[in-house]
Amino acid sequence: MTFRQFAFKNVTRNKRLYAAYFLSSMFTVMVFFTFAIFAYHPALTGDEMDSYVTQGMNISGGIIYVFSFFFILYSMSSFLQSRKKEFGLLIIQGMTIKQIRLMVFLENMLIGFFATVGGILLGLVFAKGILMVAENVLVIENKLNFYIPMEAIILSFVSFIILFFVISLFVSYVLRSKKLTELIRGDKQSKGEPKANIWLTILAVILIGGGYTVALLVRGVGVFIAMLPVIIVVSIGTYLFFTQLSVFIIRQLKKRDTFYWKKTNMILFSDLSFRMKDNARTFFMVAMVSTVAFSAIGTLYGFQTFLTEGIKLVNPNTFTYQADDSKRTEDIDFITSTIKDENMEADQEEMVLRYYPLEDKNVIIAKESDYNRFAELIGDDKIEVGEGNIRVIKFGDEGLLYTMDTDTSEVITLTSGETLKKNETIIESKALPAMYHYYVVSDRDYEKLGDPEDERYFSAWQVTQGKERVIGAAEKITEKVSPYYFTSVDLNVYEINKGYAPIMFVGLFIGIVFFVSAGSFLYFRLYTDLDTDKRKFHAISKMGLTSKELKKVLSRQTAILFFTPLIVALIHGAIALNALANMFNYNLAKESIIVLSVFSGIQIIYYVIVRFFYTKQIKQVL
Amino acid sequence: MISKGDLAMLQVKQVSKVYEGKLAYRALTDINLTIDTGEFVGIMGPSGSGKTTLLNMIATIDEPTTGEVLINGNNPHRLRKDDLAKFRRNELGFVFQEFNLLHTLTVEENIVLPLTLDGTKVKIMKQKAKQIAEKLGITDIMKKHTYEISGGQAQRAAVARAMIHSPKLLLADEPTGNLDSKSSKDVMGMLESINKNDHTTMMLVTHDPQAASYCDRVVFIRDGKFYSEIHRGDSRQTFFQKIIDTLSLLGGDDHDFPSVRV
Ligand SMILES: Nc1ncnc2c1ncn2[C@@H]1O[C@H](COP(=O)(O)OP(=O)(O)O)[C@@H](O)[C@H]1O
Ligand SMILES: [Mg+2]
Repeated sequence: MTFRQFAFKNVTRNKRLYAAYFLSSMFTVMVFFTFAIFAYHPALTGDEMDSYVTQGMNISGGIIYVFSFFFILYSMSSFLQSRKKEFGLLIIQGMTIKQIRLMVFLENMLIGFFATVGGILLGLVFAKGILMVAENVLVIENKLNFYIPMEAIILSFVSFIILFFVISLFVSYVLRSKKLTELIRGDKQSKGEPKANIWLTILAVILIGGGYTVALLVRGVGVFIAMLPVIIVVSIGTYLFFTQLSVFIIRQLKKRDTFYWKKTNMILFSDLSFRMKDNARTFFMVAMVSTVAFSAIGTLYGFQTFLTEGIKLVNPNTFTYQADDSKRTEDIDFITSTIKDENMEADQEEMVLRYYPLEDKNVIIAKESDYNRFAELIGDDKIEVGEGNIRVIKFGDEGLLYTMDTDTSEVITLTSGETLKKNETIIESKALPAMYHYYVVSDRDYEKLGDPEDERYFSAWQVTQGKERVIGAAEKITEKVSPYYFTSVDLNVYEINKGYAPIMFVGLFIGIVFFVSAGSFLYFRLYTDLDTDKRKFHAISKMGLTSKELKKVLSRQTAILFFTPLIVALIHGAIALNALANMFNYNLAKESIIVLSVFSGIQIIYYVIVRFFYTKQIKQVL
Repeated sequence: MISKGDLAMLQVKQVSKVYEGKLAYRALTDINLTIDTGEFVGIMGPSGSGKTTLLNMIATIDEPTTGEVLINGNNPHRLRKDDLAKFRRNELGFVFQEFNLLHTLTVEENIVLPLTLDGTKVKIMKQKAKQIAEKLGITDIMKKHTYEISGGQAQRAAVARAMIHSPKLLLADEPTGNLDSKSSKDVMGMLESINKNDHTTMMLVTHDPQAASYCDRVVFIRDGKFYSEIHRGDSRQTFFQKIIDTLSLLGGDDHDFPSVRV
């Protein structure tokens, strides 16, 4: 048997041991490949997509590749960790460290090669489905047909063969020749229990607390300036949190015998404290990667709703038309006939908007009957304005650019010499198209207002039937009528979504890749401890451990592993999204909650699955 | 009048064990064994003769294919799985060759572990741990971790753990298998004194004649069948010699038995 044959047999015979590592490598290749299929799709690379989208795709592909590199590096080193004992035995048998390095290198190249090929094949199988999903998410008109992605195949193959080559070389080179006794003991934890440094523990609290405080307090551009320092400070704080503070907390818990010696706590926490140093690094990575995923997706999603909701908010009508020129009768006729042609029914109101110079700007003053017609159209209450009165109507919420003028002392003088006074109670309605606020007066007073500064014709439609054809109709209308005069909310929202979809898709894709790999980190962590756990529970079960108690310990152990980093990431993510919301001055609460709950939900499902299999594995040895 | 059955802590009746698998293997055939309350019984036999199989059957770790095991008149194999676990940790004590101590726990924590599972009060646990440590002479290693103590100390800690809840029946599988002769003597002496002072019933599986000579009675099995039994008289030395003689008659795997040391 030549040495190469030995290395080859070593892999093929230890299938189970290699499976986890192989699968995660293959998964990584598949992710990259799928992305490449998508990015190189003829329908997307043509002139259909702007060059910035192509650019974005390239950058995203780069991010995935770099991330794959670190992910595989991590997977590989934790895989090698779990084989320490095997190396020890080989060294005792007289293998030199050089031979072991060669073996590790050959093994990894072998696994890497098959993972690359397997990942590409698997990607091809899923390609059709993924293109279909992309088609729907992307709002692309021309179909994303399945194609033979030669470019993607070559790119993925070459990239990953290089990647595996570099990593295998690197890993086998740094494979340290640990003391033989240490290697043979393998996972036997003779390192002793990790201890926390009190100063670093305090520093962890200060760094995280300080970072959070700054992130919550800054506003506007301050967020942008504070972003990088806060990220760095919180990252260091998080690392210390997992390496120091957690150890400190567990130690404190362990000191309290009434807690520690209660039921299964001892089994759970003794292990936790011993594993915390190993767990800490995983926790840190998972927490950071998840935070990035949350923040990226939360921001993208939040920004999208920020744009679309903004438009929906200021346009309560299906269609509106505003113009001051003579073409308008022609335009209106065309709009009305299109509505008819599309078999839709709509309520329509029209009026002339009069602008008067007040408070240094032109403000609409409308008469009660006009206002009421338009209010009714959008379902707002009618109002009654007594003579001599002005009703102040604000168009929307006050914001960064605008605060309501609450000064009610100003009066309007009519041509008759009488004066009108502002009513103190301000109501809100989007019945008329104003920037900030407008006034409504009684029909009689309206006649005596005098000449306006400006006049505009305004018409609004509220479609009552055939709503599903609104976008089609709007597209037809905009072919003839200038979008400068004609507004359709649905069409605007549709167009924003369409432009935004590729970014959203790529963001989602990367976010999900990050999140799934975070899950894999946890799986690896658990897998490394599986043998130790099997031995441990085997020993305890001989003493008498009910299956309920076993389940409880394992549930809690897995839960701590899965949810500690998740909770940290959720808090980080919430703070980050809050800071972003402060930057845009737009409330992202709803979007944040949706994104964070979806991720939590996925994590819970993942937890339940992993726990099931882990418990099953452990139970096998009892 | 008390019949022998009333005194019995353990009754093994016509127990056979067949390991199913690609090749079914009959490890035990029609074993009958009664151990009285307070008795200290050794089980000997060559490697592969079925000693561990028998002990596992009694320890409720495994189930007999036919026949029944009664502990204190009850058949624990009839219990539901979880009740069985509780039965095991309340009524039985175990000592194994490979100590089975958890290395993430200190010696003291290892010793009280069975009690923590039962939700005993911390104060009581501390008390019991202290008592047993004094009795077994391991007070000064109580705060140490298991990787900081010797094999002999580890086995004594394991015995302490097996004894902490005052089990009715203590089962030991090759407890001296990993120990040097000095430590073996310490551990066996300790088991003997527990047996004499606390009247704990004990069953010891071993192939070390030195260890077996601490028993009241030694039962020999070969190829999964009962072979013979001998009782200890007054002198351990003569008993030891008798054991050696029986073993040489028994034959089997020679290197399984250490050369005679007196
Ligand atoms: N789980 C098992 N499955 C199949 N055969 C077993 C199993 N455990 C033990 N045996 C076989 O039963 C026989 C008795 O084993 P054991 O009771 O361990 O012997 P020992 O007397 O050395 O303790 C051996 O031949 C062994 O190979
Ligand atoms: Mg055995």
